[in-house]
Amino acid sequence: MSVSLSARNIAKRYGATVALADASLDVHAGEVLALIGANGSGKSTLSKIINGVVVLDGGQLRLDDQVVEFASPYAAKRMGIATVFQELSLVPQLTVAENIWLTHEPLKRGGLINKQTLRHKTEELLDLFAGTVSSKLEPDTPVGPLPPDEKQIIEILKAISVEPRVLILDEATASLDNRQVQRLFELVTQWKLQGKAIVFVSHRMEEIFQIGDRYSVLRNGTSVGEGVLSGTTRNELVALMVQGATAGNVVARTRPTAEELAARNVQLAVTDLQAAGVHGVTFQLHAGELLGLGGLRGQGQHQLLLAMFGALPSTGELTIDGAPGHFTHPRQAMQRGLALVPGERGSEGLLLRRSILENFLIPSWRDFGFPLRMRKAREVAANMARSLSLKMGGLDDPVSSLSGGNAQKVVIGKWLLRDPHVLMLDDPTKGIDVGAKAEFYKLLARLCDEGKSVLLYSSDDEELIGLCDRVLVMHDGNIRVELAGAALTKSHLVAASLGATQEELV
Amino acid sequence: MRQIRVPFVLWLFIVAILVNLFLQPNFLLPVTINNNLRVLLPLILVAAGQAVVILAGGIDISAGAIVSIVNAFLATRIGLNGDPGTAALMMALALLAGMAFGAINGFFVAILRLQPIITTYATSFLFAGLALLILPNPGGGMPSSFTKFYHDTMPLGLPLAFYVIALVMLAWYGLRQARYGRYLFAVGGKADAAFQTGVPVSTIQFSTYVISGLMSAFGGIAMTLLTGSGNAQIGDPLTLSAITAVVIGGTALRGGTGGIGGAIIGAIVLGLFRNIVSFANIATWWQTFVNAAIIVLALAMPGLIRLLRRGST
Repeated sequence: MSVSLSARNIAKRYGATVALADASLDVHAGEVLALIGANGSGKSTLSKIINGVVVLDGGQLRLDDQVVEFASPYAAKRMGIATVFQELSLVPQLTVAENIWLTHEPLKRGGLINKQTLRHKTEELLDLFAGTVSSKLEPDTPVGPLPPDEKQIIEILKAISVEPRVLILDEATASLDNRQVQRLFELVTQWKLQGKAIVFVSHRMEEIFQIGDRYSVLRNGTSVGEGVLSGTTRNELVALMVQGATAGNVVARTRPTAEELAARNVQLAVTDLQAAGVHGVTFQLHAGELLGLGGLRGQGQHQLLLAMFGALPSTGELTIDGAPGHFTHPRQAMQRGLALVPGERGSEGLLLRRSILENFLIPSWRDFGFPLRMRKAREVAANMARSLSLKMGGLDDPVSSLSGGNAQKVVIGKWLLRDPHVLMLDDPTKGIDVGAKAEFYKLLARLCDEGKSVLLYSSDDEELIGLCDRVLVMHDGNIRVELAGAALTKSHLVAASLGATQEELV
Repeated sequence: MRQIRVPFVLWLFIVAILVNLFLQPNFLLPVTINNNLRVLLPLILVAAGQAVVILAGGIDISAGAIVSIVNAFLATRIGLNGDPGTAALMMALALLAGMAFGAINGFFVAILRLQPIITTYATSFLFAGLALLILPNPGGGMPSSFTKFYHDTMPLGLPLAFYVIALVMLAWYGLRQARYGRYLFAVGGKADAAFQTGVPVSTIQFSTYVISGLMSAFGGIAMTLLTGSGNAQIGDPLTLSAITAVVIGGTALRGGTGGIGGAIIGAIVLGLFRNIVSFANIATWWQTFVNAAIIVLALAMPGLIRLLRRGST
């Protein structure tokens, strides 16, 4: 059954903001179209128009050469278009099976839900990812407490469960580890053979080249190029995405050698830290060092950062500047000069509906007295916005008006205002476009040059290799391998992530 | 290993029964149970409807006023000398009216997307005003044969209210096994996600208010059968009691978790608390205070337990 979907000259405005000016794409049965573009270029809006979540203002959608109009996601779904949403469309209170089959539950005669079939079909779907997810993931598991990668997989299974003809994967790999991505790609290849048309939205170049057949590039809401991926280079795509300027995603920075680092002051030392998911971690962070934390997702990196910050109960020793400190509350960690930039911008880092000003100043209001010295506060926030080169309408605009990369700058800026000595970041560049990433790397490099210590957890290997002085690779709650200098290579990092030991590598 | 957790409301239920047994040795006699349940039935019905609204992430402050309207309507239309035919017709009309009032709430909340708490608070005055128009002074009523039937009928030795509750539970079980139940939890859990999945979110929200209106009308009928008379303000205290019953019963006010069963037990627990207070020879003017204190404690208990657990680790 061949299918083709074509969007022509799509336009969409939100008030005065033009989300899409003139966007077009074509995708046919048996191919993967990579939809690429910087954040804020309209990729998400375009996919939401295709799946009926957003109603278009201008242009035309054609499915199998028929003009179609989707008034709701339900209409699009009935026409065989399913979406893996970037923000996930899962209801935390429902179970895995209930989420996957929501709106198309298998029914018995009389309209009651057929629980056996439901369970059985859910197990079949879960088997698609068997071996890459926890064996405790069952149809009756509630979705709420699951780790992000498993939620993402449920979201993928949910989309595929409607047996769509067109499948849109919007940043579907952002939360997945390597093995899960590879499994997804195997599945995508199968789905292609079954005649599905697939739209793949991603920031990860490697993945685009690995799985995509053709590409379509959006810039500022306008389609600026399309073509076949084989024979196209990375730099060509990046050039299309970032107008004019070529953005390298590795920052120019002189990395200190091991000897230089050893000679420096130890800013923070962790000895045998134990917490849920962290089994005895020991390491040192020097002044001005950019230390990376890598490995597959969910190997305890997130928990390690939380435990150090006092947000997760832990045992073990922590010394800051030589003085011991063991935190049971983030406030104590903040007072000693630690800052943690969370990974989930939307839910943990920002009050989306409040202004940029407020978001910047939440941790530091107490410095502005009573009644609050607003003029001073605005000045401080404006300076920070400038130093981060934040692209915004004004300080009073809500954070939700910013693109992902700019919103992330606000999260970092609010902690920088407290002038921390140690900045910990929890996968900060997830879902951020190439241009914003490059700026972000410059910012981190600048902070290190100013003498701050940075501990960066990232799921992006290139970032760790291209940016960090040393990288600690975590596996199963332990630091398995430390990579630095010449040993800091992609192949070593991948091997270590998959469980190779220090001896095996060197 | 899955930990089996006994819902908190069941502990309260057991404690309330034990204390009642101690104060009132004949507490478990069918007749006593009937006495208790028939008084509680209006609250139980309203709480069941309220639970559906709250599950889907809304709230219905107007439920009690709908009970009042139905009571005023029945007391004036049936009267002390009404015949069973008229009574049945009027009750059917009352049920329709309840659904219509619910539809008004649903229109404001689900279609116009107004804040449920403010909207239904406002419509509650609309309904209360209408009730006073129908019946300015307490009066009217039903033939005593009707109230006698409601008070004393015990098919197979079990209270009439017991069968009504069983029917409500059965209907709820049916809803839960059907798609509607899933939609209810999905809308209350995360409305955006439900919408993106293709769940008809507005329709579901609208329907919950219609259900609440219908259950309030049933509550109004039960109330009229219980008292045998009309009073345009009789339902007012039921709103907050019903919400309290829902919360004690384990339904989160933000929606998405809980169920009607908990709300029904919650309503019974509230009634048993009131019994305790009145049987424990507490001075009249202390009763409201003691009753409220027990409710506050019951509401706070899960939070207190969590706090203690956190402290001990």
